[in-house]
Amino acid sequence: MSPAPAAALLAALAAAALLADRVASVAVIAAVLFVVCLFGPHGRRKLYVAGALLSGLAVFVVTPFVATVGWHVIWSGPTVPVLGQLDVTREELHNGLFQGLRLTSVALAFAAYALLLDHDRLVQSARFARRSVLAIALATRLVPTLERDASGLVEALRGRGVEVTGVRGRGRMLVPLLAGSLERSLNLAEAMEARGYGRPGATRALQASWGVAERAALAGSVLIVAIGGLWL
Amino acid sequence: MALARVDHLSFAYPEAYQALRDVSLDLQAGEVVALLGPSGGGKSTLLRALAGLVPHFHGGRFSGRVRVGGLDTCRSRPADLAGTVATLFQDPEDQVVFTRVANEVAFGLENLGTPPAEIGPRALEALAAVGAAHLAERPVAELSGGELQRVCLASVLALRPRLLLLDEPTSQLDPEGAAAAIELARESGAAVVLSEQRPERVLDACDRVLFLQDGRLGFELPDAWRPREAELPRAEPSGMPVCTLDRVSFAYGAVPVVQDATFCVGRGEIVALVGPNGSGKTTLAKLAAGLLEPGTGRVERSGRACYLSQDPGRYLVRERADEEVALAVDGDLPRARRALASVGLAGFEERHPRDLSSGERERLALAAVLVAKPDLLVLDEPTRGVDPPRKDELAALLRAKATERATLVVTNDLVFASEVADRYVSTVAEREQAVA
Repeated sequence: MSPAPAAALLAALAAAALLADRVASVAVIAAVLFVVCLFGPHGRRKLYVAGALLSGLAVFVVTPFVATVGWHVIWSGPTVPVLGQLDVTREELHNGLFQGLRLTSVALAFAAYALLLDHDRLVQSARFARRSVLAIALATRLVPTLERDASGLVEALRGRGVEVTGVRGRGRMLVPLLAGSLERSLNLAEAMEARGYGRPGATRALQASWGVAERAALAGSVLIVAIGGLWL
Repeated sequence: MALARVDHLSFAYPEAYQALRDVSLDLQAGEVVALLGPSGGGKSTLLRALAGLVPHFHGGRFSGRVRVGGLDTCRSRPADLAGTVATLFQDPEDQVVFTRVANEVAFGLENLGTPPAEIGPRALEALAAVGAAHLAERPVAELSGGELQRVCLASVLALRPRLLLLDEPTSQLDPEGAAAAIELARESGAAVVLSEQRPERVLDACDRVLFLQDGRLGFELPDAWRPREAELPRAEPSGMPVCTLDRVSFAYGAVPVVQDATFCVGRGEIVALVGPNGSGKTTLAKLAAGLLEPGTGRVERSGRACYLSQDPGRYLVRERADEEVALAVDGDLPRARRALASVGLAGFEERHPRDLSSGERERLALAAVLVAKPDLLVLDEPTRGVDPPRKDELAALLRAKATERATLVVTNDLVFASEVADRYVSTVAEREQAVA
């Protein structure tokens, strides 16, 4: 399938997860997106799926302690400055689960987009806002580029007999990785300008026209958003 | 009439040194010009000025005039010059926009407004010209450095420019690949300005030579830059083996890279590991250093091994140069400072590694591995982007303490290999001293 309708389908599922009112509905959307992500490349999908699940879990764990909703108290804790008395209610747990699933769904939709779609074709098929689509595609490539840079840094350190272990050791890689990606982005911008990027009258290579599947996926995207807003 | 004319050009980057000083030159249509000079001498800046990137992209203080194809580069944006000028930058990894090879080559053609029906065929034609047609559908991330350099060359050749600016286009290519790339540039019919650190690779193919040092243009080549003959040394293995590879094989996934490789490196000797791009040299080096485990076969090492990556950008973890070097010796700063001094970086201790020039980064990376005084030192393409005088210094540095360790140098630079090594092993089976 052409990547544009596939991206629309994923965006629609994420939007439906944000519009839906029921926990079960959002859970089903998250489950569907999880299964979709499993079709991604084996080596890379672990990072994306783990990131999505851990973000959702963090929201589920933290929400009951920072929200003050409901009266069915399950656990009462000490009084903490600024936050007040810590307690966990059934309503807070429900809310935490709901928000956690929503975040998981959106993160899994992004993961599926990053893992499964051909971003080149997505940029080339963009009929409008091509610059914005290219910017998004380049931003999406940031994650695998950072993965590669990180493994290069770790390998160079191992080559000097320095092992990178633990959260602290890996955390120390973040600043050089960020600095490296900023340096690369400047070089890339220069190379793009030298190749005529931003010049008026740009064309694009011939693309295969959309078939029935692409049109159905686009219609399905609209339907999913509507169902998410009205019934889920 | 000249295709490009540079008149009394001087330029300084914002809050930085004077990169070009009163440079004047003419470039005629179809001529091939070698641009030589030490690292930091202004070669890349001159190429950027011809492409309009200096001053438009970088800012800075610009005086003089540059005209290319009748356009004043101060008044025309780099994107407007793109049809006339095409630039191949030094680091191929920093100029790739798309994830698939064919799309990457098509990108420039799309920007120039090439008719849609012509884009695909022209991209494939350019890929075929550089011998990379089989890579068209491959993801860019899976290519080796040499393959990526070919793809970037195809990207600029596809534009059919009148002025082709190549900034060290052969730094990651083996000698045959480099000769083919330069020949392609010559055959393109464009005027070519070819910046290089290895004069022996370009001088025969060029119509004339420019030498740029400290931002000043000269037309005479200093003696240290004259091409040298490469004769690979063939001494017998000597010294107690520090590292032995015995019938070692290795594959990345299902792709075999090394098969049945056998060689050893003894204490006191420097062994050059040579071979064409993609023949598994870096993989063998990593196996020798213990960064990879062999699929089959046996690797034996005695003592500490250190591996110098071919990318100096991987030695920029800490905030100060001395702290970066001290990483390998548990933070021993005095020792790190001595190592910095040994590679000519005395006085750079407090500098941030990212503020160093590319040549200085190379030396910092070397200090970062030498400081550990390893029993086995593995250097992967240590002369990439290094000018001949600095190569001589590096060779002298390696030779000076060669007796204390075993040294394996992976290189495409046969001149350097012939000057630094005691013997060589090759990844090509047909050669006499083949390893695989």
